[in-house]
Parts: sequence; structure tokens; C-alpha cells
Amino acid sequence: MPGKYLRRLPTALVVAVAALALAACGDQYPNSTFTHLTDLNTATDALWNRLLLFGTVVFVFVEVLLLVTIFKFRQRPGSPAPKQVHGNAVLEITWTAIPALILVMIAIPTVKTIFKTQAKAATGSLQVEVIGHQWWWEFRYPELGVTTANELYIPAGRTVNFALKTKDVLHSFWTPNLGGKRDLISNKTNYLWYTPNADIADQVFNGFCTEYCGSSHANMRFHVYTVSEGDFGKWVDHQKTAALGSPVAATPVMAASMPGMPGMAGMKHDAKGAAAPASNTASNMAADSGYVFPLNKIPAHAIPSTPLPTGEREVKFDDTLLPNGNAVAGRELITSMANLGKAPCLTCHIVKGEMTMMGLTDDAASGPNLTHFGTRHTLAGGIYASDAKILARWLKNARMMKPGSIMPTLGTGELDPQSGKKLAAGLDDRQIADIVAYLMTLK
Amino acid sequence: MATYASSAPEQTGIWSWITTVDHKRIGTMYLFTALFFFLFGGLEAGLIRLQLAQPNQAIISAEMYNQLFTMHGTTMVFLAVMPLSAAFFNYLIPLQIGARDVAFPRLNAFSYWVYLLGAVFITFPIFFHVAPNGGWFGYAPLTTNQFSPGANIDFWVMGLQILGISSLAAAFNFITTIINMRAPGMTLMRMPMFTWMSFVVQFLLILAFPAITIALVFLLFDRFFGTSFYDIAKGADPLLWQHLFWVFGHPEVYILILPAFGLVSEILPTFSKKALFGYNVMVYSGIMIGFLGFGVWAHHMFAVGMGAVADTLFSMATMLIAIPTGVKIFNWIATLWGGQIRFVAAMKFAIGLVGLFTIGGISGVMHSSPPADLQQTDTYFVVAHFHYVLFGGSMMGIFGGIYFYFPKMFGRYMDEALGTWHFWLTFIAMNLTFFPMHFSGLLGMPRRIYTYDAGQGWEKFNLASSLGTLLLTIATAIFVINFLKSRKGGLPAPQDAWGAATLEWSIPSPPPEYNFARIPIVTSRSPLWDIKHPEMSSGAAHADADPVQVASANAVPMREETEHHTAAELGIPMPLNTVKPLLTALGIVIMFSGLMFIHLDHFALAMAVSLSGAALLIGSLYAWLFSPLE
Repeated sequence: MPGKYLRRLPTALVVAVAALALAACGDQYPNSTFTHLTDLNTATDALWNRLLLFGTVVFVFVEVLLLVTIFKFRQRPGSPAPKQVHGNAVLEITWTAIPALILVMIAIPTVKTIFKTQAKAATGSLQVEVIGHQWWWEFRYPELGVTTANELYIPAGRTVNFALKTKDVLHSFWTPNLGGKRDLISNKTNYLWYTPNADIADQVFNGFCTEYCGSSHANMRFHVYTVSEGDFGKWVDHQKTAALGSPVAATPVMAASMPGMPGMAGMKHDAKGAAAPASNTASNMAADSGYVFPLNKIPAHAIPSTPLPTGEREVKFDDTLLPNGNAVAGRELITSMANLGKAPCLTCHIVKGEMTMMGLTDDAASGPNLTHFGTRHTLAGGIYASDAKILARWLKNARMMKPGSIMPTLGTGELDPQSGKKLAAGLDDRQIADIVAYLMTLK
Repeated sequence: MATYASSAPEQTGIWSWITTVDHKRIGTMYLFTALFFFLFGGLEAGLIRLQLAQPNQAIISAEMYNQLFTMHGTTMVFLAVMPLSAAFFNYLIPLQIGARDVAFPRLNAFSYWVYLLGAVFITFPIFFHVAPNGGWFGYAPLTTNQFSPGANIDFWVMGLQILGISSLAAAFNFITTIINMRAPGMTLMRMPMFTWMSFVVQFLLILAFPAITIALVFLLFDRFFGTSFYDIAKGADPLLWQHLFWVFGHPEVYILILPAFGLVSEILPTFSKKALFGYNVMVYSGIMIGFLGFGVWAHHMFAVGMGAVADTLFSMATMLIAIPTGVKIFNWIATLWGGQIRFVAAMKFAIGLVGLFTIGGISGVMHSSPPADLQQTDTYFVVAHFHYVLFGGSMMGIFGGIYFYFPKMFGRYMDEALGTWHFWLTFIAMNLTFFPMHFSGLLGMPRRIYTYDAGQGWEKFNLASSLGTLLLTIATAIFVINFLKSRKGGLPAPQDAWGAATLEWSIPSPPPEYNFARIPIVTSRSPLWDIKHPEMSSGAAHADADPVQVASANAVPMREETEHHTAAELGIPMPLNTVKPLLTALGIVIMFSGLMFIHLDHFALAMAVSLSGAALLIGSLYAWLFSPLE
């Protein structure tokens, strides 16, 4: 009986739509905006649902009306001449008034949500400065003395208030799962706040730059780790320490793993640096890095899989050198004034505890803070997984690895795609392997 | 039906085209040039979709991709859709109002040549990999010397300045034409709807272009002469650019869509055999859209942090625009209602506009709500939205207009079978291309990225969009074949090719150079139906024309004109052909081009080129102004 099936049709449609909606929330769409993981996105999504509802109603009404009209009034042989109608005031007022009413029903919750989400963040919320650079993200926790790059740790359940700034051109800060975006405008500070739900600790969310910002706009990504309050505290305690192996933080670990480091014995321990428990076994290195978001909890979609460039952009590197990279030599290469021409790392990057060129501050540094580089899971603006082979190629010729990169080409004989010239005197593969070894120890 | 009435152009040869001041020939040149750039912009889109078909592809470099998306937007807006509309303004406005030409025929030629030369200026750098790469919106400070030291942005800044001259000159010309040159009896409220919408658009042009001109002059001075309007190191506020750009940029959207609305308002009544429903309301809603269009620009800037009050105001103003737009949709459907609908290709495209533009309108309301917009702006959802507006709206309307007016322009019909293929393939392909972008956007995909990582949930939507683009290429190829083939080989068309109501169908196809042997007296909105299908114009208001006006114009009662005479035989003075508008245009472009050498540190050369351009400009302008029109 067809009537029976017809009656079941609406149910079937609802089920189908619900199934689609569920699918949209699943792992298949890891960057969905339809989540309720923060107060901000819960409010936005409620508004979206209303827009979608009215939008669908109007869509179906107009399209069905159009289809019925063109079907019903198609020209047929012998059909009478059309009756000429030049307008109808009642009809025209009706179809002016009904859309106006629908818009009022959208406008009211819109205004409420605008004022709710753009109010000042609650006092006591975690302050994070987000600073956009071509093409990477700097995250500072001004109250906690922590500066990091491309990976943002926030405690689940606590409101986080982002102060958004840019060092150069405009960027836009967006984590689709957690809430709407906000632009980073030169000479201006914007604010955005949200509270990740208390039950979403131990999750990772992808973030993107969404304002076109030049060559590598596509390569300006970041990751947000929501962690428990306890883990967040541990992470902060470690991140604010000076770099392992630096004069102020030198611990027996480094003495053991970097035999012969000059001047190591007489170094004074910084109060913070000393907080890391002394140990002389490599197996305790993990404990020394405080809390790091565990790699095994990161879903595949949050681990970058950007392939290494091929063809004329390929960067060749002798990977057999990597296991034998000498961290001590690597540290020497980038900290010694004598090597400034070859490895000018510390003119742009800060490694807390190491002497920097001209007393570089966070504000003046044009490259990411590398103090705890070894605790990061990604590099180069979140487009590559942190891995010795990738890092080696990055150091050798970053400009091939990431179009437009401000990080200079460092490998001897490498073609700098921006100047079109080959670098005459730079680093050889062995030296790069040493620097890789050093950077990887910066837990 | 009248017999085939064709009046071959009296002049032939390339020189006659270069020196022409005939609005129809200029319209035809606009049409061909703009179609060329439409194909070129489509090619750019094809390369973009090729790169994005799969994640992590490196078919095109980041630098090239950024040039391609910048030029795709710039080309489609300034070199394709606007000039396609201009082709119709040129060809149709004088015919629809019963005039023999535009008010300033030589200025009209000048507008075209500036457009052509400006288009070449802004397009050719892509062959040398130095095309503009700051986006069609050119946000400062990215476009300042500090962040874009190359010549790329210089081409963009000066190219847009040049193109702006063309648009402004044309707009003043059409406003003067419409106000002053209507046939006796054609009151404003008897003008065909296309002319009405064009009239509104001309005002939008003269009010919107100064804003971008100011923005561009600031940028040009920053880049060439060391000012610091957008220099962030000196404390510039980058939002200055955004406000100036969008005060232009949003009305620009209506500049792109209203002519298509006008074309559709001609096509739907003709093929429903019914007068346009609610003519007055259609006029008022068009004016309302144009007016409100100036009060909503900052809805492009909800993410910049204007504050809750500004967000609210611009949100409310934006929602208001949905009302007159919705009225248009319903009035079109009411026009169809009760008619006898003939599904020729032109009609299919016109109905396609009504259906597809609705989708773009609905998604437009979705991002009029700022909190929701913050999840949508700068994602593919917005790309989906404005392609439903500009492809589903503007281009569908323009395609419809081409099928509809082709017989008037060339005296032959386009092939209906190919037209049907073109429509259905375009309809399917455009939905396949753009509908999935709603999903990829809301599922987190940002715009303007040359690559994206695998496993982000965007693969199938991007593949669908790319396949859709492939299909769209095939559909467009069918159109091009049809267009080229039908010019010489199409079925001959009578002068009233479709049984339409307006003046342009009362004269031969293609029209003689003087358009109307005698200026007709207009007594209603559907003058041709009055004499050929009185039953269809019944019920509409009729009134006699002003006798003084009739006498002074030496006009005759409305009739079909089928005789063939030359202008000389009829004693109609025609403007003389002249190359001076082209030389003046050339002078302007050379003058701007000279500046390019400043960046190459050839100051003397820059001065030499610029000054010789200025000399050519002044000389030919002087010669132009002192040579008689007729």
C-alpha cells in the first residue's frame, strides 16, 4: 500500500538527516564547526541551527514554488492566452512582510549572541597572547612566563582569553572545533575568549590562519591541546625553565649526555632550572621534560602529513649522519660567535638560558622561541611532524620546504629560491646533523 | 512576424572597428573582449581546482597559486562580469529607450579602449610570473612595499586605477543617456526593467568607485612616493584600507548582479507571455538594494573586531537587504505564474538564475549574523555563497541575456539544442562545483590556501568541486562553439525574434547604425505588444506622450521598422569615426606604465615614458575636443 510508505517517508527523512548530522560530528570531519566543545561554539551553533532551519524552509518553499510554477504553466498546445496581471498589492506586501518577520526571528538571537560572546572575558581567565608572524604562531602566557610556538596548551574547563596581535601583516586565529575566528590586526589588539568543556581534556584540535597573509598562508597552522589542570600545571612548570644544556640550566643530565661541554662544571644553577630533578640516565629524560602531550593520544588528523618537497624543490640530505649527530657540537655551532655567519640561529631565535645576539627579547625575536623545541610535536608552522629527517632538511633549506619562508637557507651549495643564488658558505650535512641532535635534546 | 530584416554594417574592416563610435559596435567589442577574459578567468579557476583536487599536491607552486586566485577574482569581477554587463549597457540602453546612440559616443569608445588596455596591463604579467598576488581585495599591509616589494602589486594598483577610469566614464555617459535621450513618452516608469537596473548600477558605479580610487591612490603613493597611509611601522591602521575597499566592494556586488536581474526581468515576461509582475515594486526594490548596498560594507569585516555595536548595526542593515531581494524573487515567480512558459535556452538560464540566486541569498543571510559568520568567513562556505550569487546569479543572467539578444545583435538565433546542453551541463556542473564548498567550509577548510593536508575531512568535497569545474569547462566549450558557429550559420531571426514587448525588437536585426529611422512615441511599458499583441498589454496604464516633446523630437507613432536605408538617405547625422578616444586611452595607460620603471630604479626612463604618455593623452584629448562630433 503506497500510503503506508508515504507515511513513513518523513520518519525516514529525519533518520537520514540525523545520520548525516551524526556523521558530520564523527572522526570523518575532524575540523567541523558544528561542535559543542566550548561555550562559544555552543552559542554559535545554536544560532547556526536557527539559520539553517529558516534557510531550509525558505529554500524548500521557493524552489518548490518555482518548480511547480514552471511545470504547471509550461506552454501546451491550445492553452488559453495568459491573463495579464500587473501586480497585486496584498501579495507583494505579504512577501515583503513574511521575510521581514523571519529576519526578526534571526536578528533577536543574533544580537543576544553578539553581546554575550563579545563581552569582556571573566576575571581569572587564563591569559594567552597570540602573536601572528609570517607564517607561524607565537603563543605567550604572560602571567606564567612561558613562550612557545605553533602548539597551544590550554586547561579544559577554564576560560582562556586570547589577546590577538600580529608582528607583520594581518592573520586570523581559527580553531574550527572550538569557536569562531578573530583577525590579528597590525597596531591593534583583538580579544577572543572561550571555555573548553571540562570533559575534553587530552584532545587535540587543528588551528588555521584564515586571513590571506602571503606566500605560505596555507602553511600557517597550529594545534591546540586541551589538558587537565594538573597536566597544565606540570607543563607550565617545565616550559618556564631555561633550556637544557644552557649555562643557567646545566644539569648532570647534560653533563652526562654532553661530555666535555666547556665551562659546564662551574655553572650556577638557576633557581627555576634547578627545579628539574637531577638525573644522569637517558631514560629519565622524559621526566625532565615535564608534561608533554602524549604522542599516542594525538589522532592522525592532528599529525601533519605534508610530504617533503620533490622535484626542483627537493632538499637532499644524508640521513645516515643523523644517528651520530653530536648535540654538544650542535650547541657550540649555534651559540658561538665564531659561527655566526654559518649558523646565525640566535639572531632570530631565543633559547632561554643561552646567550643571544644583542640580548634578544621575545618582542624582538623574529623566529619561534626554541627553548623547549624538543617537546613539540610539529615544526615550521605546524605543517611538518617533528622528526630528525624533516628537521635536517628544514635547517638545510627552509625556503624550499616552505615557500616564502623568512628562515634563511643554511646548507652549503643550496639554492635559495628567493634570491635565486646558491649559498657559498653555510653548513655541511654533518654540522646540520649536530644541530638537529642539539635541538632534539631541548626537551 | 516581419521578414528577415538585416542591415549589414555599412563599414567593414578592422580600421572601422578601431575608430567606431557606434554604441552597438562598441557593445559587440565589449562582448567579445569580456568573453575572452571570462574564458581566461575560467582557465585560472581550472588550474586552482586542479591543484586542490587532492590534498598535498604540488602541481602549482604557492607563488603561482596566489597569483592565480588573485587574478581569478580580479579577472572575473573587473574584466569579465562587469564588461559583460557593459556590453549589454552599450548595446541595449539606446535601443531600449529609443535613442540613436549614447549621449557621448566618443567617450563611449574611450571607455572601451581604456578597459581593453587596462585589462591587458593587469593580465599580461601572469605570463612572466609577476601577476598581482595580494588577493582581489588587496589588503594592506600585505600589499605595501614592506611585505610585497615586487612589481606584482604595482600592476594591480595601476591596472585597477585604469579600469576605474573606464567604468566611471561609462557610468556618466549612461546616466546622461538615460536621463536625456529617452523617446517621447518614455517616462522613467515606462523604461524597460533592464534599463532601470542599469540606471541604478551607473549610480552605484559613480558612488562606489571613488572609494576604491582613494584607497588605491593612497597605496600607489605609499608604494611609489614614500607616503605612509598603510605603513604599520609608522602606526597606520590597516582597517583604513578595509573600510575604503568594502565601501566600494559591497556595492560592487550589486554592480555585478543588478544588470543580470534586469536581463532576467526582460526574459521571463517574454517567454511567459505575461507582463512583469509588480513593475513598480521591481523598480523600487532595485533602487532599495542599491541604496542599502552602501550601508552594509562592514559585514565583510565581522572578524576584525569592530565591537559589538558596530557588528550589530551592520548585521541588521545586511539582513534588511534580504527583503527587497526576496521581493524580486517572488515577483519573478509571480510573473511566471499563469503564463505560457516556453523553455528556450534563454528562459532556462533566466529560471536558473531565480533558483540558484536564491541559494546564494539564503547563505548570505546566514553570514549576516556575526557570531555565525565568524565560523564562516574566510572559509569555503563564503566561496560557495558568492559563487551562487555571481555564477548562479550574474553569469546565468548574462548567459540568458546572450541567448536572448544574440538574434538582435547578429540577426541569427543561437542553436537551441546546443543551448540546452550548455544550460543543463552548466546547471549540474555549477552545483557540483560550488555546493560541496558549503560543506568543506563549515567543516573547517580556509580559503586562499594553495594546499591542504590529507585526512582533514575535505577530500571528497574538493574532488567533487574539481570534477564540477571540469564539467563546467565542457559546458563552456559548448557555449563558445555555439556562439561562434551561430554568428554566421545560425537560423536567421526575424527582427522581433521572440515576441518581446520593448522597442529594441521593433527595428531590424542587426539594427542599422542609426537604430531608429524615426523616433517612436511611447505610450506604455510594452510598446511593441501594444501594436502586435494588444491583448497582452491590456490592463497596463497608457497615457499619451507630452506633445511638446513629441514635436521637438519629430517622432512618429510606435511601429515596426523594416525598411532599409542608409543614414544619409534618411538625413540622419551620424557621429564621425575617430581614433582619438583610442589614442587618449593609450596615453593614460602609457602614463601609468611609466611609473613601473621607478621600482626598477630607472627614474629617468620612468619620467620619459610617463611624460610621453601624458603628452599623448593631452594631445589626443585636445584634438578630440576640438574636432566636431558629426
